[in-house]
Amino acid sequence: MFLKNKPMWGKKTKLKSSYDVVIIGGGLHSLATAYYLAKEHGVTDIAIIEKNYIGFGGAGRNTAIVRANQRTQHNVPLYKEALDLWPVLTKELDYNLMFNNCGNLNLMHSEAAMKAARMTIATAQFHGVESHLIDAKEAKELVPALNISEDITFPIHGAMFHPPGGVVRHDAVVWGLAKGAAKKGVEIHQQTEALDIGTKNGRISSVTTSRGVINTNQVLISAGGYSAALIYDMMGIKLPISVLTIQAMVTQPLKPVLDHVVSSGAYHCYANQTLKGEIATGAHMDPWPNYTTLNTAHYIKHQAEALSEFLPCLRGVRFMRIWGGLADMTPDMAPIMDGNEQIEGFFMDCGWGYFGFKSCSAVGKYMAQFMATDQCPDMLKPFALKRYEEHKLMGETAALVNYSPDN
Amino acid sequence: MALTITCPICGKRNGYEFKFGGEEKGPRPDEKDLTPTAWCEYVHMNKCVAGVQEEWWFHKDGCGSWFKIHRDTTTNLEMEVPKVKHPAAKIGGGKSDEQA
Repeated sequence: MFLKNKPMWGKKTKLKSSYDVVIIGGGLHSLATAYYLAKEHGVTDIAIIEKNYIGFGGAGRNTAIVRANQRTQHNVPLYKEALDLWPVLTKELDYNLMFNNCGNLNLMHSEAAMKAARMTIATAQFHGVESHLIDAKEAKELVPALNISEDITFPIHGAMFHPPGGVVRHDAVVWGLAKGAAKKGVEIHQQTEALDIGTKNGRISSVTTSRGVINTNQVLISAGGYSAALIYDMMGIKLPISVLTIQAMVTQPLKPVLDHVVSSGAYHCYANQTLKGEIATGAHMDPWPNYTTLNTAHYIKHQAEALSEFLPCLRGVRFMRIWGGLADMTPDMAPIMDGNEQIEGFFMDCGWGYFGFKSCSAVGKYMAQFMATDQCPDMLKPFALKRYEEHKLMGETAALVNYSPDN
Repeated sequence: MALTITCPICGKRNGYEFKFGGEEKGPRPDEKDLTPTAWCEYVHMNKCVAGVQEEWWFHKDGCGSWFKIHRDTTTNLEMEVPKVKHPAAKIGGGKSDEQA
């Protein structure tokens, strides 16, 4: 259904032997970058090459949650802009992205967590992002299903409430951006695997694909969880990334019970109710690097235990579907965006961990600016790869207790 | 994602008994003349191989040994020590049957 018929974004085009820009990976960061390159910078001779089909990876596997309550001064403005862009893109693309700004409720289970939340909230408010600290009783008023009794494993002390966040229909973003980009002349080539990147006189000259060689001066690798392996394989650049499978699942559909996105760091669990009524919920990552995207009984049990403690009305509800995706984790939980640094004409956008979806709109805009002007926008400067050897890690993790792949 | 790991002392055990200790990166660099780049390379940088890699494990819920194994990151299966180096990474295979 993805290949034989006419693609939903427009005409099927022939792969040319040369493009101004080649983007490896057909996910949201690639689609958004191509869209903004075409829309704001007049760069339309672009090929997006995707090994499987657009939205195959994280774009179609995330739990659709968007928010801008990150922890550090460099990250918050980027995510704020991404959040502000959903209604704008809905109009611009003339495509219903089903943005439901139902608000995020991030549960805190200790006084130490409340203190950490206070600082995160202060940062958010400083950057004009609405975020409040509320106590357990107020949290219960927002989500009556919440168990605020003290006889659970991690009693709820309070919560960080972030009203402008919510959920966006992730497939709609894939389809909308693909359509929007194709309309402006961007070509999307599915079933086309990038095999090698060629250089000449110290700059990018070509991309070898499973369907032939493409000459180009600029390459962006933004292939989600697969980026790190591709970048090492084709460019020999090592990255401070660990690639882990992260699992998510949905329950059977229920009557409306959850009006907000609820998440808990202590329980390693986040949940929201979809418009279909299912409770969509995700877990922590697998503790060791792997590319399997396989599911485990371990996490089904974990989710069931966590949910039935802090949302006890879900006891006995059945899980219907479970799936996995990849999270490319960095030690400071912040992404790597770089270009023209390792080699002229080479750009990368990776290390998003599980934040790739919520950031894609703004990142597309700024990566496009970066590639079109060859000047790194101020917004992206702190995310360069060099920060690791300069020991300027970003501190998106409040306290790194163990240095492990899953932070 | 089921994983079993063979501990040199305890034998083949459930993967959840172990803690992943990172990719094998050779010996710790000498303190003398150590540059930030070399240190960063040793501490942070990974190859993220989609295929067979040599890696460290710690038997945290067992005998406490640190040891190395070879594992295929695309199948999560422990491998015999490969005779030749694994060919170029082959990744992203398979089709998802679930999206939500």
